[in-house]
Amino acid sequence: MIRFEQVSKTYPGGHQALSHVDFHVKPGEMAFLTGHSGAGKSTLLKLISLMERPTAGRVLINGHDLRKIKPSQVPYVRRDIGMIFQDHRLLMDKTVFDNVALPLIIEGYSVQEARKRVLAALEKVGLADKVKHYPQMLSGGEQQRVGIARAIVTKPPLLLADEPTGNLDPKLSMEIIRLFEEFNKVGVAVLIATHDLGLIARLRYRTLTLKDGRMINDGLEDNEL
Amino acid sequence: MSLLFRNRSVEKGASNRGRLPWWRRAIMVPVHHAQQAVASLGELWRNPFASLMTMAVLGLSLTLPSSLYVLVKNTSSITDSWQQASEITLFLKKDLKTSEIETFKTQTSLSDKVESVRWVPKDEGLEQFKEQSGFGETLDYLSNNPLPDVLVVIPAENYRAAEQAEALLLEFQNKREVEHAKLDIEWLNRLQAILDLIEDTLGALALVLCLSVVLIVGNTIRLNILSKRDEIVIMKLVGATNAFIQRPFLYTGAWYGFIGGIFAWVVTLLLIWWIESAVLTVTNLYDSQFQLDGLTFGELIAIWVIAIGLGLTGSYLAVRRHIQSIEPE
Repeated sequence: MIRFEQVSKTYPGGHQALSHVDFHVKPGEMAFLTGHSGAGKSTLLKLISLMERPTAGRVLINGHDLRKIKPSQVPYVRRDIGMIFQDHRLLMDKTVFDNVALPLIIEGYSVQEARKRVLAALEKVGLADKVKHYPQMLSGGEQQRVGIARAIVTKPPLLLADEPTGNLDPKLSMEIIRLFEEFNKVGVAVLIATHDLGLIARLRYRTLTLKDGRMINDGLEDNEL
Repeated sequence: MSLLFRNRSVEKGASNRGRLPWWRRAIMVPVHHAQQAVASLGELWRNPFASLMTMAVLGLSLTLPSSLYVLVKNTSSITDSWQQASEITLFLKKDLKTSEIETFKTQTSLSDKVESVRWVPKDEGLEQFKEQSGFGETLDYLSNNPLPDVLVVIPAENYRAAEQAEALLLEFQNKREVEHAKLDIEWLNRLQAILDLIEDTLGALALVLCLSVVLIVGNTIRLNILSKRDEIVIMKLVGATNAFIQRPFLYTGAWYGFIGGIFAWVVTLLLIWWIESAVLTVTNLYDSQFQLDGLTFGELIAIWVIAIGLGLTGSYLAVRRHIQSIEPE
């Protein structure tokens, strides 16, 4: 699903965020990406969502080389990836419904056509009763779940989450992770970047570890290689 | 449309987005445009003061050229009628006998270049001069009449325009009986030149004003875009194309033009109405019948189209430049 081949990323100014990163996340797999702050987790996710381009090497999604994606095609790639952010990035002057409907409206659905799917997505994250609320009226955990509903409303085959539990207490964090597990069960590949090692320890998922831009552990047992 | 997952709609657990038939999508295009147009209008309502300022600037900027246009149009129509009425005055040689003058008059009036000829005998000329010049009785002291006989020739319809009339004038000048022929066309030429000058100035002025409208609208839209930076970043993150993000801003620009155009109408019509009463006072003093032509329906529509065009151009420039440069980080 996601394949990195000798990927390096050097930012203008000389900071090397990633060097020679190799890994493969299979379709339908759920994996954590961990490492200290500044280890390159965010850069790695940005390379997948085409917010950045690698300096060397190549990134493939579903066998498609992202180097061949033209700037004008970037939006269409992003529609295939559900993205979740630590600061959830919601539109604060729009209702929960409008926020979740946004990806569908962008794809050309009318509000009426989007309604059913938006309600289904909100049902899944347990916010069906908050449809008409504005993000400020919700708690941090609820806001994050709105962000998740927005990411899954188009039923993408791939979910990326950047510190989705960053601002949440352990109980809420676990609830969020359980949500990801549910999506994973229906075949969605999930990659979660987090530095919450305690959370990872309680779960038995593959964990990729970055340190100073290098992949020091890709989470695969030797016998699986 | 899925770039990376061509068979996404049949994948297990994936979407059934392929379900929207093409004709539904085709219908949705204009519906979406209409929705976004209305949404942009709603956006303007939320910030009415700033929007009204921009519309007023746009409208006022168009008012100046359009009211000047009305003035030039009216002046042209007046001078056109003056050009039409050009007369050629023939001052005849003094030693001509009355019979010779009669013959010459008949001869002249038979030419198909001439519509009519009027003979003003020298005595009659003197009487007129006495009446109109104000010298009156003083002229009685003249021992003899210094004025020549005069033929006033009105050219045929095809020979009234400046150039043809001038040719006709030369023709008369060469006649044996004519001492001097005069066509008062010089001042008409000057007037025409001045009118051309005003028209050119008006054109340049209109161009400059239109340019400034484009820049003003562009700048307003630029500020709009920058104030919605976060929103644009989020839309880009969830897969919005530049075209999708641009559309509401383009509609905003079009609305500026739409309402600014109406503003220009109202102010121009008010100005014309204001000037009209002044013009009527002047023309009444000259005892002439004159009706100030306002803007025709077609011209009003043209102003509207220009206003909307300018609004769109301004927003397009801003949008092109800035939407692309905002990228999620």
